[in-house]
Amino acid sequence: MRKEGPMIVTVLSSLVVVFSQYFFLGQQWDLMTPLNNWFQLSYAIALALGFVNLSAIHWKYIQRKREGWFYSIVLLLCMYGYLILGMIEKHTGVHFSWIYDNMYVPLGSAIFSLVAFFITSAAYRAFRVRTKEATILLVLALFVMLGRAPIGDAIWSGWSSFVNTWVMGTLNMAGMRAILIGAYVGAFATALRIMLGLERAHIGGTGTQ
Amino acid sequence: MMWFLAQEEAKPVLGIFSEGSIVDFAVVLLLGIFIWILVSRARSGKKIPDIKKIAGLEAVDEAVGRATEMGRPVSFIPGINSIDEPQTLAALGIISHVARQCARYDTRFLALTCDPLPYAVIEEITRQAYLEEGRPDAFNPDDVRFLSAEQFAFTGACIDVFERERPAANMMIGSFYAESLILAETGSFQGMIQIGGTANTHQLPFFVAACDYALIGEEIYAASAYLSKEPVMNGTVVGQDWLKLIIWLVIVAGTIVATVAPGNAFLAGLLSK
Repeated sequence: MRKEGPMIVTVLSSLVVVFSQYFFLGQQWDLMTPLNNWFQLSYAIALALGFVNLSAIHWKYIQRKREGWFYSIVLLLCMYGYLILGMIEKHTGVHFSWIYDNMYVPLGSAIFSLVAFFITSAAYRAFRVRTKEATILLVLALFVMLGRAPIGDAIWSGWSSFVNTWVMGTLNMAGMRAILIGAYVGAFATALRIMLGLERAHIGGTGTQ
Repeated sequence: MMWFLAQEEAKPVLGIFSEGSIVDFAVVLLLGIFIWILVSRARSGKKIPDIKKIAGLEAVDEAVGRATEMGRPVSFIPGINSIDEPQTLAALGIISHVARQCARYDTRFLALTCDPLPYAVIEEITRQAYLEEGRPDAFNPDDVRFLSAEQFAFTGACIDVFERERPAANMMIGSFYAESLILAETGSFQGMIQIGGTANTHQLPFFVAACDYALIGEEIYAASAYLSKEPVMNGTVVGQDWLKLIIWLVIVAGTIVATVAPGNAFLAGLLSK
């Protein structure tokens, strides 16, 4: 029953989603709302599990005085401090929002800004002319870069239009849509495999029946 | 009162379907029929068509092997979305395989999650994998980690794990966004063997550039079937290909109609039903 119970819940939930999505009565009965509420409830319970996991791991780091254990103290203080502040002030509280907007957001932006540097190093590796494919990639990348910068249009007035309409709108779009169609069909097939009980990884199985 | 008058009462299409969902339902039904045919054939021992070799998936065992030889962990990131994302579900099947391989070869397996629901599920999958390989004592719950539910806090925490634990192999398969390149490049700088895979088309070039192997789009959905090497599961992938063939025929028909009779809206109208 340890495996059958979750499997029954999976199949029933899937049938409710299919019924609500495609059938008129399903939409009228609005079965998705309670299902979404249960999902949110599961999320909250799982979040508590994650909270415990994070606390346990960092508590061990502190106890064992592992390299960088000081940062674990900072993490636990921030995590529990912010939790308590949130419980007192609610999520709309002035201090709660201030900390998020003025501490988390700039820190997040700082990590995001690393993308610019990493793009350069990744592009260097990708565009090294070693194979026929890399050469084509390099030539097209040069075309796109010139089309996206003012210097392209200064060389030839139709450059940006050529890049935007043909390279990006035809070549790139065709490839992207082909990948997307395949991915959507794959997602459908994965959903069906789970509904039919052929794939059981999500319930702690070995992935297949 | 005016608002109520302006509302048109919703009516079922063909008596039972909601508006605009007939073709969608037909596609799901068709895929279901294809899968049922192929699964039945596989179960009765009949031959089903082979699926092509996928280099990224062939490399999964190689990556675990390399980590084993080096005595360093294997890390796995199943994207940053929750369990309701199909890509995350696809990643779970791969995690199951990788965790089993790690349990078999006594290699440490690190799963790094950004969402609490996959975290809870992955812990159970990993525990089960170690149990099935007869090594429940080797499973360390601290190696399945919930790092943060915030995208860039999670990214920073993953970089920290890469720096401290120094995995020899890193697999990033699932739904990734702006963090994909930061993680892949950090792994690349550390000399890890990396397998990246996503169906998020804007992140694919980053994985192709920074990882040793990249799983493109639908390949991640075929992964659990491919790795299982079971005819029944392979049959579901072939069913997927049959549906793609039908979609291809519709695209060709649409192209011909749009070229020969540009004003004809019959096919577009039919598909919007």
